Amino acid sequence: MENELSRVVDALPGLVWTARPDGHIDFLNQRWCDYTGLGVDEAYGRGWQTAIHPEDLPELLERWQSILASGEPSETEARLRRFDGEYRWFLFRTCPLADASGAVVKWCGMNTDIEDRRRSEETQRAHWWLSSSAREHHFRSIGDDIPGLAALMTPAGQVEIANRQVLEYFGATLNELKGWAIADTVHLDDLPDVLAAWRGAVETGHPYDVEARLRRADGVYRWFHTHGFPLRDTVGRIVLWYLLQTDVDDRKRADALLAGEKQLLELVAEGHSMSEILEAICRLIENTATGCYCSVALYDPSRTRWEHGAAPSLPASYMRFCVGRPLNTDAGPCAMAACLNEQVIVTDLLTETRWAEWRPIALKHGLRSTWSTPISTAAGKVLGSFALYYSEPRTPTSLHQSLIKQFTHIARIAIERRLSDDTLSELRSELAHVARVKSLGVLTASIAHEVNQPLSGIITNASTCLEMLAADPPDVDGARETARRTIRDGNRAADVITRLRALFSKKETTLESMDLNEAAREVIALLRSELQRSRILLRTELADDLPRVTGDRVQLQQVIMNLLRNATDAMNDVDDRPRELVIRTERDEDDRVRLTVQDAGVGFDRQAAGRLFEAFYTTKNGGMGIGLSVSRSIIESHQGRLWAAPNDGPGARFSFSIPRASGGATDSGPGAPEGVTDTHGLGVIRMPVAAARRVMRNT
Amino acid sequence: MMVMRSLVSVVDDDESVRESLPDLLRAFGYAAQAFSSAEEFLASDCVCRTGCLILDVAMPSMSGPDLQRELTLRRKEIPIVFITAHQDESVRPRLLGQGAVECLFKPFSATALREALNAAFRVT
Repeated sequence: MENELSRVVDALPGLVWTARPDGHIDFLNQRWCDYTGLGVDEAYGRGWQTAIHPEDLPELLERWQSILASGEPSETEARLRRFDGEYRWFLFRTCPLADASGAVVKWCGMNTDIEDRRRSEETQRAHWWLSSSAREHHFRSIGDDIPGLAALMTPAGQVEIANRQVLEYFGATLNELKGWAIADTVHLDDLPDVLAAWRGAVETGHPYDVEARLRRADGVYRWFHTHGFPLRDTVGRIVLWYLLQTDVDDRKRADALLAGEKQLLELVAEGHSMSEILEAICRLIENTATGCYCSVALYDPSRTRWEHGAAPSLPASYMRFCVGRPLNTDAGPCAMAACLNEQVIVTDLLTETRWAEWRPIALKHGLRSTWSTPISTAAGKVLGSFALYYSEPRTPTSLHQSLIKQFTHIARIAIERRLSDDTLSELRSELAHVARVKSLGVLTASIAHEVNQPLSGIITNASTCLEMLAADPPDVDGARETARRTIRDGNRAADVITRLRALFSKKETTLESMDLNEAAREVIALLRSELQRSRILLRTELADDLPRVTGDRVQLQQVIMNLLRNATDAMNDVDDRPRELVIRTERDEDDRVRLTVQDAGVGFDRQAAGRLFEAFYTTKNGGMGIGLSVSRSIIESHQGRLWAAPNDGPGARFSFSIPRASGGATDSGPGAPEGVTDTHGLGVIRMPVAAARRVMRNT
Repeated sequence: MMVMRSLVSVVDDDESVRESLPDLLRAFGYAAQAFSSAEEFLASDCVCRTGCLILDVAMPSMSGPDLQRELTLRRKEIPIVFITAHQDESVRPRLLGQGAVECLFKPFSATALREALNAAFRVT
């Protein structure tokens, strides 16, 4: 019977063993020995432990002790080494055998090979261990150690389990959290991205990544990177989504700031207006430091009042109060920061006692704390103030301070650039003014000359008249004659004035058929003394058969004068060769007429040729650099072109070419009647016209 | 008393001056002769007889100061009263520094002219 039982025990589909109440193994069946390859003698007592997987042994022993203590049937799992060294999972089941008094006299156990079952279970294991509350606890105890937010979500989007960090971050219990939707935690702007990623993942079953701002318990949004991956059951169905959320707020902010700074500098580089740039700075900081409002206030040029810089999010009524406030330390924190050139931190307006006038207005607009920082140049010159406001009491963090430092710097660049732009345009208008005054000087002198001549005659004649009448006997005939001449000279002066008035009221370009030679000769006549003074040898080579051109005579004369003056100036320092100036007119190809002014001066190098015509580009010490650019625009408005070329020898030549007048060519060569000039109606004051034109052009 | 009337020569390219000034000079009691350019004056027989030269500063070819230099070279030191329509204040001291008796800006009064002529003939 003993033998029979032994055979039965050995035949059972499992490894069978018994143990004494203290856990000492006193029997192992043949299958056990066959499986492990251990002899009975080796395995008895504690020897069996050598066949347990080292990783599983501590837990198994612990469990074995608690089973022994409990006296209850129980089971556990562990890996058992086969004779060939391979470990396989076994289910260890054990039941106590009690005597009549109920005391355990023996433990009977059977180990069943569950390796295959376990393998198939691997995929649904997660669900399996999570389905029990013990496993949930297990997840929580592991999950709590994860440096991030970890949660399990149902495919419907409901939170199943979450680690401690999740509950703390959102400030909710697990039960509360289970009642929330995704939209309750994600920033509204990021919600579409999150939902799209989530729905895509649920649809495809693929892991997903998404970055979004999640709302913390205190209402602050922080950026998180969410990595989600599915947990499947045995048939491959997704039962849960494992979400791991890492706080990437600092990196994200750094990225955003860097991108923002780059964008701002681009705005600066692209020449956007100062107010656009300052506004962009405010918006960037408001987006970065959530919940704050920004403003930039500027010193106005008179430096006694505030000027509006930018404040995209502050109430307009508050800004209206601030702009134009006086600039002293009592006016408000911004004014104080600017006056002292140091940061002024107001953590709570309610406990503040300074700025009696400003404080109630700020409070009325819901502002509770403000930090003002001066915007100043490297040299310490204050340009304005940059302020951050919060609607609750606050002290700046190091993030705030670095933001303030970084962006007051960019604000400074923007303001300084505006100032330098202003300075430049001031300089330009000053230059234009100088040019105007200079031209006006020339103009007035010319007018004065033209008017003084007849006036001189009038006074002389009137004086003569008086002398003749005072003689004894009075020379009445002589007096009558001089009185007549007085009237004639008076009319001459009046004519000058009439022409001047006509000249100044004439603003539009007047196109007429005109003789370029004649126009050139008039300019030469006007410049003759100037040319003489500069010891210029002028050679005129005006073509006899030059076709007439259509153009504004005054404007074209202005160009010729400019070219002649430039040529003269270019030869100022020439002493080793004749200061020869050639003015030449000739027929050009394509029915055009060309005028060239050639000097023997310093010339220019070919690289500069393109720049000669830029406004404010000049090689002359006292030059304005306006003449050539204006000249070119005049010639271009005549459908012509103006260009420069270096001579083969010293000097340069400037030429323009304009179309000849359409319909017949009436040449008016050197012998043309003087009447041509007078029909134009400008007579003796022709050149002041050119000067006047130049004045108009330059303003 | 004025048997030998002093000759005043006027050199000016402006016709109204040439037309009006000699009459006034004659009314003052001087003999007067007008020339339209410095060259014309130099070529005339009046150079030696001229007691005072009323000379325009700016003329197309030879200027007033040019004529003054030329006369100095020829050792014909005639008192000169310059007249000019360019009211450039810097011109006057320069011309006076170079030996002119006076420099009058056009239009000038009869009184100013008379004083200048008086000064010119006092010099002689």
